[in-house]
Amino acid sequence: MNVGFIGLGLMGRPMALNLIKAGHTLHVWSRRRESMEPLLEAGAGECAGPSEVAARAEVVISMVADAPDVEQVALGAGGVVEGAGEGLIFVDMSTIAPAAAQSICARLVGRGVTMLDAPVSGGEVGAINATLTIMVGGDADAFEKARPLFEAMGKTVSLIGGPGAGQVAKACNQILTGVGVAAVAEALNFARKSGVDAGKVREALLGGFAYSRILENHGQRMLDRNFRPGFKAWMHQKDMRIVLEEAHRLGLALPSAAATAQMFNAMVGSGLGEDDSIAMLKLLERMSGEED
Amino acid sequence: MRVGFIGLGEMGRPMAQRLLRAGHDLAVWARRPEAVAPLLDEGASAYASPAELAARSEVVFSIVTNSADVEAIAFGPDGLGDGLAAGAIHVDMSTIAPQSARALARRYAERDVGWLDAPVSGGGAAAADGTLAIMAGGHALVLERVMPLLATLGSRVVHVGGAGAGQVAKACNQMIMVAAIEAAAEAMHLARAHGVDVEAVRKALLGGSAGSRVLEVFGERMARRNFSAGIQARLHHKDFGIVLAEAVRLGVPLPIAAQVCQQLNALMAAGWGGEDTASLLRVLEAQSQARIDE
Repeated sequence: MNVGFIGLGLMGRPMALNLIKAGHTLHVWSRRRESMEPLLEAGAGECAGPSEVAARAEVVISMVADAPDVEQVALGAGGVVEGAGEGLIFVDMSTIAPAAAQSICARLVGRGVTMLDAPVSGGEVGAINATLTIMVGGDADAFEKARPLFEAMGKTVSLIGGPGAGQVAKACNQILTGVGVAAVAEALNFARKSGVDAGKVREALLGGFAYSRILENHGQRMLDRNFRPGFKAWMHQKDMRIVLEEAHRLGLALPSAAATAQMFNAMVGSGLGEDDSIAMLKLLERMSGEED
Repeated sequence: MRVGFIGLGEMGRPMAQRLLRAGHDLAVWARRPEAVAPLLDEGASAYASPAELAARSEVVFSIVTNSADVEAIAFGPDGLGDGLAAGAIHVDMSTIAPQSARALARRYAERDVGWLDAPVSGGGAAAADGTLAIMAGGHALVLERVMPLLATLGSRVVHVGGAGAGQVAKACNQMIMVAAIEAAAEAMHLARAHGVDVEAVRKALLGGSAGSRVLEVFGERMARRNFSAGIQARLHHKDFGIVLAEAVRLGVPLPIAAQVCQQLNALMAAGWGGEDTASLLRVLEAQSQARIDE
């Protein structure tokens, strides 16, 4: 399939490479040329902008930072919509607010483009190994058409519902992972400050009801003090902002998510934003009177 | 002085009346014509748009709901920006985001129009009595020129700093005040759960270290189960949206404000947004299935 890909960062690059590996023809564009180079070496075609990407592809995928970036790529000057041929499917895999995804989708429909929101979970490792979880919202026929692409990038692919439903699922994912990272960091800090081997505590807990992927993976990285991202704390802060803005709009109490979001604010404010979100542990250590 | 006034709601109407009664030549504009009627009876004149009102005013006050409203009044079609002469002043007394206030101040400065963000605290009664607390952000010379007008509206005017600083002070005010309302509600809720007379507890506490204006005013509303506004809780809910968005932007943790905001979200979901923020007590009662028959 002729596939366009816009947004070749930490996540986008390995995802695009997996599409090439699966035999698809890639057409890419990036603001910074050096982001494109690994893809061009792997055989992707270089485009001058989103509209040219759209003109060459049946499906265009975007993986960018936030809603204004998606708007710009899709609907801005020189955007996807300007180059779109008939039946083009635009798949946004970024994490943005459900309401923003719905709004962009509605405007694209008016211009003859079908949009799917398809945010992912699984981090850089999942992107490299093509084991991402992909949560999709939008038109069922468009989903079936794009399914081979999703399957080349991820392991668990689900159509959740209509436009925005994928982003709602992702917001739920971020509540669970955000609160989960905070809980694991608090537990491991508690163990160590109590004079107990935190690694042994983790191992013991892995067999019981407190087992989680976060305790297993993130917990191990906390014990190794490996704070290299992974998933940067400032990105998790952004995702928690989306969650809590939606909660504010809906009149919905999310007390645990709200507490966790303040911890992410503290991380970004104290210079831990570029670390992995597991640097939550460092924040807790500082709160309990330790230097890094 | 030739003064314009926009936003004749629960706060704005008594403020505008005080300016009229102090002898100022008052022009008014409102989206809904019926809102201006009581002011016209007292001698104010009505204008067809903010621009027309601005063209005849030296100072224009506004007190409306949110940033978008102020932006529309200032620089929307037929906005104040189209009418204010160089040297005129826009004093916005609404509660809006500090960022919005700073942006508006910059745009006015390009046209030599003065700006003051001057949000208030004290509620409808203080507006009528002219005893509001006014927190001003903007240029000192601009504040000096409108000081006689502000003195008609409030008993305490503090120049906090440059543009936006008044809104920062207001955000701090809202955080402290609503957190105190939540604390009062939790204390009352605990007292009631023990079967102790909540009014007796409140009276006892007023004399000690936990005494506060909030315990006095909102505590009494809780004890009497008088939840008719007062201050509509939906406005505090809106303010907390601003505060927590700023906390994200600045990377500042606000753990208590974040929790209070969640209680306000629950209050909104229960349909009490149009009632007083003392309703935070009812949120706790609903959460503990201990709703008391009224």
